[in-house]
Amino acid sequence: MNAEILSKFELTIPIERSIQAELLLLLGQKPSHGYELIQRLNETDFRTGEADTATVYRNLRRMDKDGLIKSHWEVGESGPGRRLYELTPHGEESLKVWAKYLTRHKAKLENFLRAYFQFEESLFEKKGG
Amino acid sequence: MKIIKDSNKTKPFRIIHAGALEQVVEKCLEQFSKQNSGLKFETNAVGSREAAKRLLSGEKYDIIALADQALFAELLVPDLVENYFVFAADQIVIGYDRSSKGSQQITQENWVEILLKPQVSFARSNHHLDPCGYRTLMVWQLAEIIYDKPGLSAIMESASIPYSVYPKSLDLAGALFKGKVDYAFLYSSQAEQLGLPYVILPSKINLSSPAYANFYDQAAVSVESRIPGKNEIIHGKPIEFAVGIAKSTGYLEFAKSFIDLLTGVEGNLILEECGFIPC
Repeated sequence: MNAEILSKFELTIPIERSIQAELLLLLGQKPSHGYELIQRLNETDFRTGEADTATVYRNLRRMDKDGLIKSHWEVGESGPGRRLYELTPHGEESLKVWAKYLTRHKAKLENFLRAYFQFEESLFEKKGG
Repeated sequence: MKIIKDSNKTKPFRIIHAGALEQVVEKCLEQFSKQNSGLKFETNAVGSREAAKRLLSGEKYDIIALADQALFAELLVPDLVENYFVFAADQIVIGYDRSSKGSQQITQENWVEILLKPQVSFARSNHHLDPCGYRTLMVWQLAEIIYDKPGLSAIMESASIPYSVYPKSLDLAGALFKGKVDYAFLYSSQAEQLGLPYVILPSKINLSSPAYANFYDQAAVSVESRIPGKNEIIHGKPIEFAVGIAKSTGYLEFAKSFIDLLTGVEGNLILEECGFIPC
C-alpha cells in the first residue's frame, strides 16, 4: 500500500463513509445479506450511532457497482430469497486501505488529545498558581 | 433484459400486487412491454392479504408482489408459489396535508398528543386486508412500550376513524388529499409518491430496521386466517416487500424475466424513484 494511494484516499473519502469500511469488514468475516448485515452492524462495538436500513442498502449497492463486493440471489430454504453479498479481491484491498487510513487517523486523534490534556493541565496550573 | 419469443400469447400476463406497488409495477411494465410488445398485461392492485387469499380461492395470476414477505410462507408456499424474493424495504410514517389540523406543530416527539386532540382526525387501513393496517396497530403497540404509556394502543384504536371507512392504504392517501382526514398511517413510499408531507417515527417503532426485529416481535395483531371465520396472531417484523411466481403460470420465462427486471438495476432505480429502499 503506497503513501500516494493512502493520501489520495484520505482526501476523497470522508470519515462519515466509514460505514463502507464496516460493511467490508463484516463481509470479509462472512458473506451476508442486507438484513443480516444491519443486525450484525448494530451489534458491533465499533459503530457510533444507529445504521439505518436505507444507508446500509444504498452503500451496498454503491460498493457492488464499484466492484468492492459482489452479489447474487440466494434462494431461501425455508424463508425468502435474498441478495447475498460477498467481498471481492478489490474490496479486500480497499479494506486494507481503510485500516491504514484509520490507523493514521487514530494517531492524529491521539496527538490532538495529548496536546489538549497538556493545555488543560497548564490552565489548571495557572489557576492554581 | 432478454427478449422472449412466444408465439402463443393469447392470454394476458397477470400480475396481482400490493396497492402500494402500483407505480412500481406500472413503471416496470413500461420497460417490460418495450421488450415484449406482443404480450398483453393485466394488473390487479389490492391489499396484500386479499391478494394472497385470491390465489387461495383459485384465481390465476403469473406474478404475485406483496407488501409483507411473511405472507408467502404463511399462505402461499409451497402449494401455490415455490420461491419468493425480498426486493424492497419501507417504514410506517404519518402522512398529512398542509391543511391538516396541527400540521405546523406535529413532530416525531409530540405526534401522539397531536393525534389525540379531539378536533383532529386520523385513520388506518383494514388490518385483515392490508399489511399497512396491521403494521399501524403494531406501531401503536410499540409506541405504548417506548413511551411508557399503558393503554395507548387501545386509546389510539378507539380514537381513529373505523378501518372499514378506508380499507386500503391508498384509500387513506385519497382521503388526505380530499381533506376528509387530517393524518393517515402510510408507507413512506406512498407519502413520497403522492408528494405528501409526513412525520418520520422513531426507528424502534416504525418497523424499518432489522436491528430491532426482536423488539418489533413483541407487537402482535389478530387477523383473519386462511380458514374462514378463524383468526390468527401475527407478530411485528421489519417491513419487507417480496415477489414470487405462481406455480400455475403458463408464462414462466416471462415471469422470470419480469422478476429479473424488478430486482435488477432498472428495478432498483424505479423503486428508489417511488420512495422504496431496494434490497
